[in-house]
Formats: sequence, C-alpha cells, structure tokens
Amino acid sequence: MMLVALLLMPLIASALIMLVRPRVWLEIIHALAALSGLAVGLMVAARVWRGDVPVAVGGLLRVDGLSALMVVVITLLGAIAALYGLGYIRVEYDDSHLPRVRGFFALFHLFIFTMLLAVTTDNLGIMWVAIEGTTLATAFLVNLHNTPRSLEAAYKYLILSSVGIALAFIGTVLFYYAGVSRAGEIAVNWTSLRAAASTLNPQVVRLAFAFILVGYGTKAGLAPMHTWLPDAHSEAPAPISALMSGVLLNVGLYALMRFKVVVDIAVGAHFTGPWLLGIGLLSLTVAAVFLVVPRNYKRMLAYSSVEHIGVICMGLGFGGYWGVLGALLHVVNHALSKSLLFILSGNILLKYQTTDILRVRGLWRASPLTAGAFTAGTLALLGVPPFGLFMSEFLIFRAGVESGPVWVVILGVALLAVVFAGMLGSVNRMLYGTPPEKVEHGDVLSWSLAPLVVNFALLLVLGLTFPDAVADALDQALRVLGVSRA
Amino acid sequence: MVAELFPKLVTLLSFTVLGAAFLLIVRRDLAGQVRLFAVQSLTLAVLAAVIAAFTRSIELAGVAAALALLKVVVIPRVLTRAVAKIGLQPAALPYLGTPATLVVCGGLVTIAFYVMAPVAASNPLPTAEAIPIAFAGVLIGFFVMINRRRALTQILGFLMLENSIFLLALLATYGVPFIVEMGVFLDVLVAVLIMEVFIYRIKENFDSIEVDRLGRLKG
Repeated sequence: MMLVALLLMPLIASALIMLVRPRVWLEIIHALAALSGLAVGLMVAARVWRGDVPVAVGGLLRVDGLSALMVVVITLLGAIAALYGLGYIRVEYDDSHLPRVRGFFALFHLFIFTMLLAVTTDNLGIMWVAIEGTTLATAFLVNLHNTPRSLEAAYKYLILSSVGIALAFIGTVLFYYAGVSRAGEIAVNWTSLRAAASTLNPQVVRLAFAFILVGYGTKAGLAPMHTWLPDAHSEAPAPISALMSGVLLNVGLYALMRFKVVVDIAVGAHFTGPWLLGIGLLSLTVAAVFLVVPRNYKRMLAYSSVEHIGVICMGLGFGGYWGVLGALLHVVNHALSKSLLFILSGNILLKYQTTDILRVRGLWRASPLTAGAFTAGTLALLGVPPFGLFMSEFLIFRAGVESGPVWVVILGVALLAVVFAGMLGSVNRMLYGTPPEKVEHGDVLSWSLAPLVVNFALLLVLGLTFPDAVADALDQALRVLGVSRA
Repeated sequence: MVAELFPKLVTLLSFTVLGAAFLLIVRRDLAGQVRLFAVQSLTLAVLAAVIAAFTRSIELAGVAAALALLKVVVIPRVLTRAVAKIGLQPAALPYLGTPATLVVCGGLVTIAFYVMAPVAASNPLPTAEAIPIAFAGVLIGFFVMINRRRALTQILGFLMLENSIFLLALLATYGVPFIVEMGVFLDVLVAVLIMEVFIYRIKENFDSIEVDRLGRLKG
C-alpha cells in the first residue's frame, strides 16, 4: 500500500501541476509532493530495514535492501533539489513564462516517478521501460532554456541514450530467453531469474551481459559511452543537473548490479569482475584527462561524475565484501556531494551568467556563502577527510590491494591525484580575484541553500563514524548483491 | 504440414523485414523512407500475427494489433506530418556512398550471424533460425543512424532498430510479456513525439535539419 503510494504521489503531483492555474499553487504542490515523497520513501525503507520485503501489484513491485537504499537516495536528493528548484525557477522565470515553469515542475515529478519505478519493480522489462522513461522525462528539461546549445545537448542525449538503452533491451530479452528455455514459463522477474541462475546457458548469459554492460553503461555514463553526459548535465538547469548527475547515473548502475548478481551465479564472478574493472578504469582515465584543465565548471562537475561512476565500477569489479561495500557507500557519498555542488553551480550561474571558469572571478567576495559551501563540497568530492568520500574510496582501493591486480590500484590512485590537482586548481581560480564590476555583492539565493545542510551533515557522519543503522542498511543491500561479511 | 511450413514462413517474413532496412539505406527521399518504415512494420505485425496463430496466443495477437496501430498508422502519420512541415530540403549526401554502404551492411550481416550463433544454436523454437537476421537488422539500424546526417533519417534508423529488437524478441521467445511490450510501445511513441518537437526546434534554430550543424559542445 505504502509502496503504491510512493509511486502514485509524483504521478498525481505531475498531473495536478498541469491542471492548476496560479503559480503559487504550482509551487505548493511541487514542494508538498517532494517532501511527502521523502516521508513515504523513508517509511518504505524503514520497513525493509526491519526485515520485511514489501511486494505489491501482484509481484510487479518489490523492494529489497538494494531497492530501499536507492529509494532513500532518490527521494532525499529529490526533495533537496525540489526545494532549491523552487527558488531557482523563481529567479530564472517570471510570471510571463508560466508554461515553462509548469513544464519544469510537471516533468520534475515525472522524472522522480520513472526513477522510483525503475528501482522498485521486480520485472526487468518494466525496469527497462522506466529507465528509458527517465531519458524521455529529462529530454525537455535539458532543453528548458531552448538555446541552440541546450538543444544540441538534448538531441544528442535523447538519441545516444535511447540507442544505448536499446542494447540493454536486447540483453534483457536474451536473459529472458535463457530463463524461459531452462526454467519453463517464468515472468521476466529478477527474483525468478536469480532463482534459476545456476541452470542458465552460460554462453547466452555472457553474450547477454555484454549487451547489458554497454546498454545500461550508457545510462550510467561509463566511458566510452559517456559522450552525451557532459553536454546534457552542463546544459540542464541546476536542480535537474543535480538529480541527473547525483541520482540518475546511479539508477543505471543499479540496473547493472541487478544483472551482475545473476551473471555471477550463472558463470562465476571471475567473468564480470575484469570487465567492470576495465570499464571503470577507462572512465576514470577519460575524466582525468579532461579534468587537468577544465574550462567550464558545470562540465567539470559532469566529468567528475564520469570519474566517480568509474570508481564505483572498480569497487564492484574488485568485489568481495569490502569492495562492494565501498562501492555502495560511494554511490551514496557521490550522490550527496555531487548534487550539492550542482545546486551551488546554479547559484554561480545565476550570479555570473556564464559557465566559463576564467570569467568567474572573486567568488569569495561576490557571494561568500556559495563560495564557502562550494569549496567545502569540492574538498568532499575530491576525497579529503573528514568527508565520506575519503572512507569509501579508501575501502574500494583497500579491496583492490587485497584482490589485485595491484597495478590497477596504483593507476587508479594516481588518476585520482591528477583529478585532485586539476579540480582544486580550477576552483581556486574561481574563488579569488576581484569580481567583474556588473556583479553585485551577495548570494543570489541563500535560504534555498538551507537543505544542503543535510548533505553536509550526512557526508560528515559517513566520513567520521559508521552508525549501526547505516551498517545494517548497507548489509541488507549487500546480501541482495550476494556478498556477506566473511 | 503447418509445422513444416511455419519456420519457412517466419524466415521469409524476417528477411522481408531486413530487406526493408536495406532499402532504407538506398532511398534518398524522406517520404519514401517513411513509407518503407510503414511497410517494414506491417510485415512485422503480420509475422507476429502468424506466430500468435501458430501458438494460439491471444496476448501476442493483441501485441500484433497494437504494433500495427502504432507503427503502421500513428508513427508514419506523425513522421509524414513532420516531412510536410519541414518542406523539401536538398538531400544531404550520406558520409558513405551507396556501394560502400552496401559492402558495410553485408559485413554487418556476417557479424550478426557470428555473434548470434550460440543463441540460435541453443534455441529449441522453430523460429530460431531467423534470430541472426533480426540482429543484422539491429546493426543496420545503428549504421543508418551513424551514416545519415538528417535528423529525420536518424529517427527512422532508430525506429528500424527498435523494430529489429522486437523481431529478435519474437523469434527468440515468442515475444516478451504483454505488459512489458505495451510499456515499450509507450516509450517508443513518446520518444518519436519528442524527437519530432526537437526536429522543429533544430530547424528553427539552425535553419537545417542536418545534425552536422550541431557541433558547438566540445571538451
């Protein structure tokens, strides 16, 4: 029941936003939907953490430990981005642009709905439909400003993601075929596929996984299928960039993880491990090359997402309890820090009206609050203690040292160091100097940044301590992924 | 008699679907390309209906009807409307000429047979023989999307790719479950409608529908 409500709420909110007239009602519905979504999301997750596995609509919806983790990430960051979006859209569009405001709010909740459906359904076909749905819901959001640049980004995004994900559908069909031919009539359910996993034809499973890796890898922004990502994430309005980079990429990874579980049982973990390591290391390399001298701060953050998704993939590739634990923790940490930075980048863009790093000068003096938060967020993102990313990256590379190959660990750490120097240098350049004369003193939006306190608090908690509740939640997700504490 | 004829009929219809993809490569005018897509979809719907009759599956018959409605009637109409609205454009040359394209596509068909061999060999269904043909259609759809510069032709390439994936699912498993298929159809319809809007916007902004003009985002 709660599960159905979780999915229906954003859908109803989206419909209501299309119907009501006055702007203030749009904003109220938008905020209410986001906050109540968070409340219901937490309630569903709490049920899972108490040991229950809620199932609804005849087995179509099912939430286990892994889904619960994703539900929390989606609804929490959805609510934070929604609250900032309220202020952002007010500055960006006055009442003469009401259709655009309406479109933004309606598509925002449709986007949340498709992500929630993707992580709560047990049916792998519906999961595919929902993930393609995320692309469709965000295509217009990327092109919200309707400039030639954003149009190009949106078109590329739509075409490349749709084609990429078409490959994932072939993979899904092949898994379905492998399941049907061995286990008889099964639905395309993940649970029945996993139950039949040990009897699946290994040759077909290997081929199917190749399609899944390329297909959902495109959605997750893994190199070399990442080319749409810097464009789409940098052209989208800030609250949407925050969700696309912080959350949507993880939904792609989530799909990959689901299939990895089945493949690992069918043909052994030695098959997927090297592939994930390789693709993760490649993503890290591609991102590091760009991040040596970035010119555009939103593209910098986008490439940094390619980097971090690569690191998560490496964690999954190293495997073992610590590797996968590190990967899941990094999913959460990266989501928290990246959405934070993209939201702040919205403030910088509103202030300076440019995404060019060289033309942003004297951020400290122009908007001290944004500058302080942006600096702290960047340090967190780069893996500086006491923030959570230090812990998760440490866990991942520690697992790498244990399971080898060690040269991958050394190369990975070296690339992280390159990224560290490149990004810190660029942010440094934005902070100091004298701001351009036309720029007024003061932060554009300050109260809208209040929810970011949650991001910082959680990043600190995950960096300094490891509360039992978090450990339990992660343990449940790890059990779904087939690893348990040795 | 029926059991003997059925695989042959399936293979024949699958080849027709692939043939339509080949013709799309050669065709230059947009209206003709849209008609070709409709013909391909109709063949696919007939094939789905044949398999539905053979397996006595009501669900699959429903899928065939929905497919016919969506891809033979609705989507071609949307695309024809787009062609009419954009007006006649001087045809842009593809990156590769026709002879080279045909050679590449021949190669792609060979690759398809090689890649899909384990699936076709292990599949007990009478339709399994045609699985590589379906995959060849997927690869050719890809190639059309890369080789053509016009946004509308790229969309047709995407739709043909989608058709080939449907064919693949049909041949390997007699189609994925009804609810999934309906979800996929919904996605395809929405995707085409969004792409249509983007085409108009590209035309407005760049005064052309050649995707070459889209090249400002770099680095």
